Amino acid sequence: MSEFDNTPAMEQKNKNGLMAWIDARLPVTKTLEKHMTKYYAPKNFNIWYVFGIIATVVLANQLLTGIWLTMNYVPSSEGAFASVEYIMRDVDYGWILRYMHSTGASAFFAVVYLHMFRALMYGSYRKPRELIWIFGMAIFLVLMAEGFMGYVLPWGNMSYWGANVIVSLAGAIPFVGEDLMVWVQGDFLISGATLNRFFALHVVALPLVLVFLVFLHLLALHEVGSNNPDGIEIKENKDEKGIPLDGIPFHPYYSVHDLVAVVVFLFVFCFILFFMPEMGGYFIEYANFTEADNLKTPEHIAPVWYFTPFYSMLRAVTFPLFGIDAKFWGLVVMAAAIAILFVVPWLDKSPVKSMRYKGWYSRIALMLFVVSFIILGVLGVWSPNGSRELLAQICTIIYFLYFILMPWYTRKEQTKLPPERVTGRFISIPQLILALVLIAGLTVLPLMAVAAEAGVELEHVEMDLHDKESLQSGARTFMNYCIGCHSAQYSRYNRVAADLEIPEELMEEYMIFNEETAIGDLMVSSMSKELGNNAFGIAPPDLTLVARARGTDWLYGYLTGFYEDQSRPFGVNNRVFANVAMPNILESLQGVQHCEDAEHCDHLVHVDGTGTLSEEEFEEVIYDLVNFLYYLGEPSRLERYRIGGYVLLFLAFFWVFAWLLNREYWKDIEH
Amino acid sequence: MSDGTAHGVNKKRRRFLIGSTTLVGAAGAVGAAVPFVGSWQPSARALAAGAPITVDISRLNPGELLGPMPAWRGQPVYVFRRDETILESLASRTDHLADPESEESGQQPEYCQNEYRSIRPDVMVMVGLCTHLGCAPILNAEVQPQDYDPEWQGGFFCPCHGSMFDMAGRVYSGVPAPDNLVVPPHFYETDNVIVVGLDGEDS
Repeated sequence: MSEFDNTPAMEQKNKNGLMAWIDARLPVTKTLEKHMTKYYAPKNFNIWYVFGIIATVVLANQLLTGIWLTMNYVPSSEGAFASVEYIMRDVDYGWILRYMHSTGASAFFAVVYLHMFRALMYGSYRKPRELIWIFGMAIFLVLMAEGFMGYVLPWGNMSYWGANVIVSLAGAIPFVGEDLMVWVQGDFLISGATLNRFFALHVVALPLVLVFLVFLHLLALHEVGSNNPDGIEIKENKDEKGIPLDGIPFHPYYSVHDLVAVVVFLFVFCFILFFMPEMGGYFIEYANFTEADNLKTPEHIAPVWYFTPFYSMLRAVTFPLFGIDAKFWGLVVMAAAIAILFVVPWLDKSPVKSMRYKGWYSRIALMLFVVSFIILGVLGVWSPNGSRELLAQICTIIYFLYFILMPWYTRKEQTKLPPERVTGRFISIPQLILALVLIAGLTVLPLMAVAAEAGVELEHVEMDLHDKESLQSGARTFMNYCIGCHSAQYSRYNRVAADLEIPEELMEEYMIFNEETAIGDLMVSSMSKELGNNAFGIAPPDLTLVARARGTDWLYGYLTGFYEDQSRPFGVNNRVFANVAMPNILESLQGVQHCEDAEHCDHLVHVDGTGTLSEEEFEEVIYDLVNFLYYLGEPSRLERYRIGGYVLLFLAFFWVFAWLLNREYWKDIEH
Repeated sequence: MSDGTAHGVNKKRRRFLIGSTTLVGAAGAVGAAVPFVGSWQPSARALAAGAPITVDISRLNPGELLGPMPAWRGQPVYVFRRDETILESLASRTDHLADPESEESGQQPEYCQNEYRSIRPDVMVMVGLCTHLGCAPILNAEVQPQDYDPEWQGGFFCPCHGSMFDMAGRVYSGVPAPDNLVVPPHFYETDNVIVVGLDGEDS
């Protein structure tokens, strides 16, 4: 591989060939040398220095998958939600592209937060790297706008109400707020007009800005050179050729080094992508599996995890000040929390850059800052109450004190003299573990004090997608009892037939009751929305995604949870879903249930002999039905696991090669 | 040794490791490209929309035409019934045709590779897209001299570039279109119902 050989002979040879022709017209070799083969990076980079390159990998992933998603996404309030499900179901490999993008969004923030922490720890923002830091903060800001607008695009109910909450912030600005809000929305509420402009910004305008800022970030970095864990300038010690004594060419040494880290990152990334793309509701929130509804707020609104620290600060301001209401100050605090990051280079007055040589004040301040940031993040996910509010306020104050007191404590503390030349590992493994335990403890303890959330207790029921018999039985129940009123309008009959191993002829004969319906059609109920509205007061919801929105335990509890209650229109109520509009459609099978204790309906008693099925038989019918709905929510789930297994195996295999290659090259480097 | 040119470098080993890592990495890149390339295939919706269609020909009299149909796979499908005169002219007059025996396979299913290019001689099923550049030829069934052919026996004329086809969709020689018009896969579900888009079970 000639690109690795950087010998003078090679350069000489290049000068005569095609490369010379191009180089005379376009500085290809010069640029590669400047930024790769003759870019001298400090040789003492540690693991904290891989997140920049990983962020670049994630950016590439977002750009590529984003472009591919727009090929099938429909940016309209009527079509957006359905088009996302179309991508998830009907487009070949569409689900991979979508999960790559949604997981990538979270990964982006995770990586960028770690990257920023690294900068804070080693003083990478200090002179002469102020502009690198400022470009980085601008990237962070644009990224937040990208993340926010991107989250609106699937047009789920959380998209909608999340957008509503954030856009309403603009309304907090005195005098112009209300008008500004209407202007941003292009309507008097979040609507298709808002969606369309967010789409344009998310896929065209902001990515352009983002890529340009990343370019500037790197250009500035390569002008002044990288910082390092010791926070000393390697350019101050050069050899006779003008090469830093502690510098090594980025390529090949750090390209092979970063490759190892990138593969490890990809392993984690793909594990999440293929095995837990929702990440327990933090990467893709459950409420977002319901289409946007401007009349119904999800029970619990929380932004995606990467915004929660700032969201917490916004919420922590609960009192008016100087005659202006709390809403405005909340916005000010949140904006200030981001704005203050920009001026960090001028707040740090320490004579040294790296935490290695700073004093204990700085170390404790940084640790408290990290702890408060994480606590704020967790609190932002939880619904607020009195004690949580207090904790959020304390953490907000710590967050700001870290910056505001920085000029003082960085000057006051006792610092150590950094060495002339770079060094290797600084803290020992036990010290590292101690630090992590300390941070974890400081984070978890206050949170435990304000935790505890209770709801209706649900029995856990394990689903089994390999049990085709159960799925077929569930499909039968669905077609017989559910589809009369409920649609599964994002799913196609033939897909269900294929996945459940039901022959298409049987499907057409026994499961499709409408003559006009073809096997490839979407599973749309024959009941119109108006008819449903008239019959039940509310149109029966679509059930394609109900298992993803509600969870299977909930569905099982709900479908077995009907009990007699004559105060309700249909004479039944539900233990899990109080005052539900739906009648107990399966009553002929199940029979009648009573509440043991009318006050707290925790336990239901079955009235013997009132249903055609025994309790066990009925529970099996419901299990099969829920199992089917679980399948219906994500038909590609089993394929996802299968492909995921192969991908992880491959990455593990590839890692071995990358690791060996890295080890081979680093034999050159004296530590 | 900060410039990385250490002595005693095992070049062979390095070359092997670079080669193998590149190879495995390239395989990974190909794998990663699969979803991007694969997602351009027709989606389930396109396949459903392009599903086979059924055509009832019970009221189709000789000399009459059905079509272009609301199509199979979005292509205009013609179904027409040919009377004795047309069939006779198809059999007798072939010297002006480029491929009278329909030897070019791929333009019709095997079961239509005959002089009438159909399962039943009287019923013609055909995709009305010119094999030149995909325009839709116009059916002109009148047997009378035309500007473009003084001996016109009825057939299809493509207005885009002047290609001509007879009543079996066979292309004239000396026109831009290279091949006969496409006969889609089809079969008779009953005597009067044709399923277009699917081969019959016997074939």
